[in-house]
Amino acid sequence: MTCLVDLMRPEVGFAALQLLERVGCTVVVPDGQTCCGQPAASAGQRAIAVALAKKAVAELEGYERVVVPSGSCAEHICNGYPQLLADEPAWAMRAQAVAGATRELSQFLAEHAPDFSPAGDFSGSVTYHDSCKGLRGLGIKQQPRELLARLPGLKLEEMPECEECCGFGGAFSVKYGEVSTRIVDRKCESIASVGADVVAGGDLGCLLNIEGRLRRRGDETTRVLHFAEILAGEVAK
Amino acid sequence: MFFQQRAGDKVRNPVLQQALQKARPLFVGKRAKGVAALAEDGLDGERLRDACAEIRNRALADLDVWLSLFEERALASGAEVLWARDGEEAAALVVALARQHGVRKVVKSKSMLSEEMHLNAALAAAGIQPVETDLGEYIVQLAGETPSHIIAPAVHKTLGEVEALFAENHGRPQKTRNSADIPEMTREARGVLREHFLSAEMGVSGANFLIAESGTAALVTNEGNGRMVTTLPPLHVVVTGIEKVIPTLEDFATLMRMLPRSATGQSISNYVSLLTGTRRSGEHDGPQKTVFILVDNGRADLLGSDYQDMLRCIRCGACMNHCPVYFSLGGHAYGWVYPGPMGSVLTPLYTGIENAVDLPQATTGCNQCGSVCPVRIPLPKLMHRLRETQVERGLRPLGERLTFKAWGWLARQPRLYRLFSRIAARYLGWLADPAPDGSRGGRRIRIFGLAPGWTVGRDLPVPPGPTFHERYAARKRV
Ligand code: SF4
Repeated sequence: MTCLVDLMRPEVGFAALQLLERVGCTVVVPDGQTCCGQPAASAGQRAIAVALAKKAVAELEGYERVVVPSGSCAEHICNGYPQLLADEPAWAMRAQAVAGATRELSQFLAEHAPDFSPAGDFSGSVTYHDSCKGLRGLGIKQQPRELLARLPGLKLEEMPECEECCGFGGAFSVKYGEVSTRIVDRKCESIASVGADVVAGGDLGCLLNIEGRLRRRGDETTRVLHFAEILAGEVAK
Repeated sequence: MFFQQRAGDKVRNPVLQQALQKARPLFVGKRAKGVAALAEDGLDGERLRDACAEIRNRALADLDVWLSLFEERALASGAEVLWARDGEEAAALVVALARQHGVRKVVKSKSMLSEEMHLNAALAAAGIQPVETDLGEYIVQLAGETPSHIIAPAVHKTLGEVEALFAENHGRPQKTRNSADIPEMTREARGVLREHFLSAEMGVSGANFLIAESGTAALVTNEGNGRMVTTLPPLHVVVTGIEKVIPTLEDFATLMRMLPRSATGQSISNYVSLLTGTRRSGEHDGPQKTVFILVDNGRADLLGSDYQDMLRCIRCGACMNHCPVYFSLGGHAYGWVYPGPMGSVLTPLYTGIENAVDLPQATTGCNQCGSVCPVRIPLPKLMHRLRETQVERGLRPLGERLTFKAWGWLARQPRLYRLFSRIAARYLGWLADPAPDGSRGGRRIRIFGLAPGWTVGRDLPVPPGPTFHERYAARKRV
């Protein structure tokens, strides 16, 4: 479970659990789990990132599959860990094994349960924001869209520039608040241009960023949701 | 370099924002079309990118060999070849050449390296008039500015601003010009520039590539000015970075499939010139003397380093065209010759990592740049490596270092970490603005003192209370 989900939106975590259980998985959230180290790695704090990568590898390696409800954290485990631990042969192998077992949630569902039919009864229009790390780092594009499209009553509306960065970038949005705001403004305009009821995505960071800006701009109605929340049917309109 | 301060000014400049807002979709759309059209020629864009990267890697792997072959062939074709360790030395060479030949005016075709060398200032200091002849660069020169983009130097200017500059500098009453008529304004500039072409004694250009096997400089432009600069004046000086060399003409043909498409979406640009040697007997045009000045200025140090990949750059500008940060600020925010993602890597490398601490941080890590780079430079990875080097050298602010230290420690103590996140969830809840009915328990924070950057333009949603792990533990106990 990712730090942001843990703290900011636990519902996403439970929605993910529910979806996984529904497709027949036994799900365990390891007790000692904390931060995957992505913020440290991205800030260039290699030593800290390596320590956290080792901690996470040790925690996750006992499981058949590791499923993460976040494109950027999954990307860090898949691409970041093997790189961070490349210089220590024993760890490198363990990191690669964990990376090989790790999937982002929509990737996992598409692979493991191709016939999965969501139980939700959502009706309304949804526009999907592709988060950078999931899209360009893991190639996640069709999976969440196909899953969402299976909900009867749900209409997918593609917004222009859906692959464009929302300006979050972790610490970037704090360090360069104004620049980040400028970038997310474009995203908000794209969203407004299709007039969807919901903006969905697979990364809580981007979603909080987009939601925060929409609200500040005075949009109180467009809902901003993780796709797992929609699929789990806990947000019926 | 104070990127952070400059960034604020740029975001708040409505005229600049208007210019950028207009330009970006054009660049992005044209490149997408251009690359998609490769398929019509039976070409696979991704394989072409591999091929281009491979050509550049091959050149860099034996850079000394290709450079000496280039020198040999250039000399054989009648050109001269000079070498400069840094920009200052290169500028001094150009000035000396100008003096030697009694030059009073130099016409220039756009060259980013000449910006690195501060060539215009060096020429002016020697009493020689430099005239930029690329339309964008000409506008920038009139305005007393520097280019803000490597292929569209005046992209930060609006039509109105250009019009005012022309009115002020061309000595014609504004009335005679049909306002906002771009072809008319271009004609006007062309008229002024033509006189310069004819009266200049020396032409200075860059080169997109140096082709080793034939000793040729390849020049790719969309305006005819490059041809005038390189053929009209009796003396032509080419200044390029040493990394620009490629082995063969065939390599050039391959790279040309990607360069214009990446830059402007064109399958080929309007003018592609291959310049070899000087005017031969019986020929009517071309310079009587051609001099190549090959400049290092920090490039050789990158060979064999973690940053060698950056030397592949063919200066197409695609990375900046696709960068959300670049197009929120324009190029001047980056504070040196090269803007955007490639500048965020090059500037610290060429001017010293400690002199551009902000730049490798000025990225969201979205990798839109890396995914369009025609020579597959992993720009985010290089910026990330620069961040690591900053940390290794202790160049990050104390507060940031302590925060990560504390966070790294906390994240390795799961029990304490849980306690911390529980407290954080409650604390954020406590900070929440009152709900619309005035009661506690609103859903957002409008001013967040701990990370003021965030709430500059956004509301921070309030966590619902118990964390995931708290609830999960409770669920397990049931
Ligand atoms: S880094 Fe790549 S995309 Fe950017 S200018 Fe250089 S070649 Fe073009």
